[in-house]
Amino acid sequence: MNLAIVIVVAAALALGIILRLAVSQSLQAKRSIGLAVSIRPIDIEAFRNLINPAEDDYLRRRLPANRFRAVRRERLRAMAAYVHVAASNAVVLVRVGEAAVASGDARVAGAARQLVNDALVLRRNTTVALARIYLALAWPNSGFAAVRVVERYEQLSGAAMLLGRLQNPAVPVRLSARL
Amino acid sequence: MLQPHSLLWHYLWIGPHVLQAALAVLLWRRGLHRQFPVFFTYLVYGAAEESILYVMDVVPLGSVTAWWVVFSVGLIIEGLFRLAVVGELFFHLLRSRPAIAKVGGRLISCMSAVFVLLATLAAAYAPVDSHQFAIGYRATILQQTLYMVECGLILFLFLFTACFKLTWDKATLGIGLGRGISSSVHLATWAVMANGGLLQSRHLLDFLNMATYHICVLIWFYYLLAPQNSFATSAVHLPENNLDIWNRELERLLQQ
Repeated sequence: MNLAIVIVVAAALALGIILRLAVSQSLQAKRSIGLAVSIRPIDIEAFRNLINPAEDDYLRRRLPANRFRAVRRERLRAMAAYVHVAASNAVVLVRVGEAAVASGDARVAGAARQLVNDALVLRRNTTVALARIYLALAWPNSGFAAVRVVERYEQLSGAAMLLGRLQNPAVPVRLSARL
Repeated sequence: MLQPHSLLWHYLWIGPHVLQAALAVLLWRRGLHRQFPVFFTYLVYGAAEESILYVMDVVPLGSVTAWWVVFSVGLIIEGLFRLAVVGELFFHLLRSRPAIAKVGGRLISCMSAVFVLLATLAAAYAPVDSHQFAIGYRATILQQTLYMVECGLILFLFLFTACFKLTWDKATLGIGLGRGISSSVHLATWAVMANGGLLQSRHLLDFLNMATYHICVLIWFYYLLAPQNSFATSAVHLPENNLDIWNRELERLLQQ
């Protein structure tokens, strides 16, 4: 009977999660009419500098081991903050792109599909990158590369700009802040 | 008749399956059977299977053992259809998103293996000294096993789409929601039955199962036949002002 109790509790949890996600999915679809898109630009150059392995090597050579670990952890936390922003931007762009896919204009629909695909790949990469960053926080001396996130973000930025221009030619859309 | 049943019992047993058959006809007339061929076949098969079982129970046709044999065979086929419906939902969600189709396919394969393993373990740990009718008891364990795999996969499907913020179309969401509610409630009730719980109140669990399925069929009616709202297809413009404000602020900060 203990097994039955465990399964009943698990089934109740599953039911609760499914209902909640289904309701939020319906609400999300309704909210997309007046979607207040809140994309936060990311300074790609600063992020790239943060994840540059040469910078880490330099710090490793110049600082004592315990000081290096502390600095490295700070850099990893900053890196995680950037990746979080990239992930949330990707989520917004998936919704924006999916809303535009059904557009009657073939060029807009094509650009929207490209945007959705790029945003989904970025979302996947950010999940992996975050896992690696948190792992690196535990072992600051380990090597880490988030270059693929940066590259994908730049590609996504291009796709978003294309869709933005097709939908509203007068307004420039940027996801990256550049000096 | 194997057991005396109330009018409500009769309605809850056969009513949802009559509605299910009607839904299949309406899907056919609207051409939706081409969009969801597996779900359509599941509806037709489920309606036919339950009608046969109902007639065998009411007329009655054959022995009690024969009824349970037909029930068990039907259950295996229906279980395969239900899992195929989950596959069809997954296909609908990923076919237009090649960027995550590969990782999605791999993940669902892994999760399938995990849930099959868990369901097998749960079946192996079910009590073997049950006083119930042997073939009927085995059927309850089989139900528990199939519903555990199905419920787990549907839960994974919802979590996966939530993680990537994918948008479900109305029909796919309706099928997923209906199967999700049905599989989780049925998993709980069949787990209680398979583990020898509530022996004196089995009819209540049967009522719960049948009422839940009735609700699920009504959910399918709404999601598959009610007109799709236009909001799902309206274009959303990218932001005009907040990006510029962000860029300006960030640049100002970086120039300090």
